[in-house]
Amino acid sequence: MMASDPPVVSTPALALWRSRSIGLLLLVAALALLPPLLLASLWLKVLTGVAIYTLTAAAIALLYRRLGLVSLAHVALMGAGGWVGLRLAYGLGTPFEVNMLAGGIAAAGLGMVFAYPALRMRGLYLALVTLMIAGAFAIIVNVLQFPNGGGGWSGFAVKSAGYMPRPAIASNDVGYYAYCVVVTALGMALIHWHEIGKAGRAWALIRRSEAAAMSSGVDVPFYKVWAFALSGFLAGIAGVLLAGNLQMLDARSFPAAESVMIFALTIVGGAWNPVGALIAAALYRLVPALLNDFGVNGDAAYIIFGAALIHALATAPRGIAGQLEDLASRLFGRSNGGNTR
Amino acid sequence: MIEIDAVTVSFGGVTALNTLTVQLDAPVVGIIGPNGAGKTTFLNVLSGFVRPNSGRIHAFGRELTGMQPHQRAQWGLRRSFQKEQAVDELTVEDNVRVVLDSLPLSRDVVEDALTGALEFTGISALRRRSVAGLNAFERRMTELARCVAGSPKLILLDEPGAGFSQSEVATLRSVINGIAETIGARTFLIDHDVDLIQATCQRTMVLDFGSLVTYGETASVLADPKVRAVYLGMEET
Repeated sequence: MMASDPPVVSTPALALWRSRSIGLLLLVAALALLPPLLLASLWLKVLTGVAIYTLTAAAIALLYRRLGLVSLAHVALMGAGGWVGLRLAYGLGTPFEVNMLAGGIAAAGLGMVFAYPALRMRGLYLALVTLMIAGAFAIIVNVLQFPNGGGGWSGFAVKSAGYMPRPAIASNDVGYYAYCVVVTALGMALIHWHEIGKAGRAWALIRRSEAAAMSSGVDVPFYKVWAFALSGFLAGIAGVLLAGNLQMLDARSFPAAESVMIFALTIVGGAWNPVGALIAAALYRLVPALLNDFGVNGDAAYIIFGAALIHALATAPRGIAGQLEDLASRLFGRSNGGNTR
Repeated sequence: MIEIDAVTVSFGGVTALNTLTVQLDAPVVGIIGPNGAGKTTFLNVLSGFVRPNSGRIHAFGRELTGMQPHQRAQWGLRRSFQKEQAVDELTVEDNVRVVLDSLPLSRDVVEDALTGALEFTGISALRRRSVAGLNAFERRMTELARCVAGSPKLILLDEPGAGFSQSEVATLRSVINGIAETIGARTFLIDHDVDLIQATCQRTMVLDFGSLVTYGETASVLADPKVRAVYLGMEET
């Protein structure tokens, strides 16, 4: 094959990478600034939801792609992050960014607790464990409720319906949408930064074979726990963003089924490509809203998603994003050298 | 010097290694024996995947018995597997870099170690290629580069030559022969290819049913009637 390229690639590749990162910055800016000019505020809220769930889907995809682990608890992790964020916002009045980090760290801690079963289990058994954790969270939060400015430890009061303050720099819907896009982009950059470094190499070996990873000096439990912590951290951040979007959270909107749905859509969207997370979130938030707009019950989306999942598992293991990538390379005649699998 | 002291491993009712006691002291030691003799189990005990029921392992004065597999790797133990374990989605370079990630080395030392390992195994030209596009031999050499990177002390190779052409095995042979001098590590080599064993191993141990049949100079071991009996399945008289 073409073995003549290695010596010459170093500087052009760097330039390409730079131009690519500038391109990505422009893309993020465009995503953050353009839609508000075109859309009514209801749709802007939906799009804010898309931006937030993109981060969740990216966090799920990280575990699936890198370690082959199925987590059906990410909406519960969002809820846990959101709970902590709300509690701090009402209890201490700390700035939004502090609440967001605290929510992320709390969910990362929970993620690390999930990681313990993951050290010994994979596949169906791990999925079942995470699903049960999601179910347990739904029950607990239905009892506790989300803090809404009430007193006591749980911060819930039936009558006082306070609103969570948004970040000072993004208090209106337009600003908050852009804020969410930027935070999500930063979160995905954090994932990418991990993947191209030491952690990414360790995860790649673990996915290939744990025996090979161990015999190459990789501390397998540590890197598995790390992946769960990172994934949980991002889900927790997404949870606080969600709390900021609605300025409150409803305990009923975190059933275990939602975690299953967002996982399924992450597979449909494509776990091997960042665009896949965006597609997953768009399907998750936009399709029901669009159906409602057409006068069809939004729950009909579940039927469409079920069919899409079967389609993805049967014919497109890399999801819609993978199909788009194939299409693009066919259209522009650009082979990607088989390095995106 | 690697000292194996009365190591016993049993899986259920099967004794895979039976009070194995041997001191392995050559630069390259061959391990041969019929299928099911306990060769791979022996490597698994050395790399820490299998905990022996009893017995101890010392290598260069350090007791390995209680160490985790990744700690043994960080100490200086490397191994390749019967089925090579190169990672498709990483470049050749990153496949090797993994092993250096866990060592407390400076950036420059890591780059030097990478370059050294890739040159030693003859795959420098593939450095930035994705492993997904490599042939079986290049993948095997990638795995071997991972084994020799980062100044290892002991390298375990489990049938590295299986399935390759004569010229490929010749390349493999010269790489294995260079390990002691260039890398400064001891090598244990399992292979069914007696020519490869003869050409690389100063000493050879023979296992059968988990027990040591003999250990000594490769030429005399291969000429030993007991060894021939083990291979041909004849009863000793």
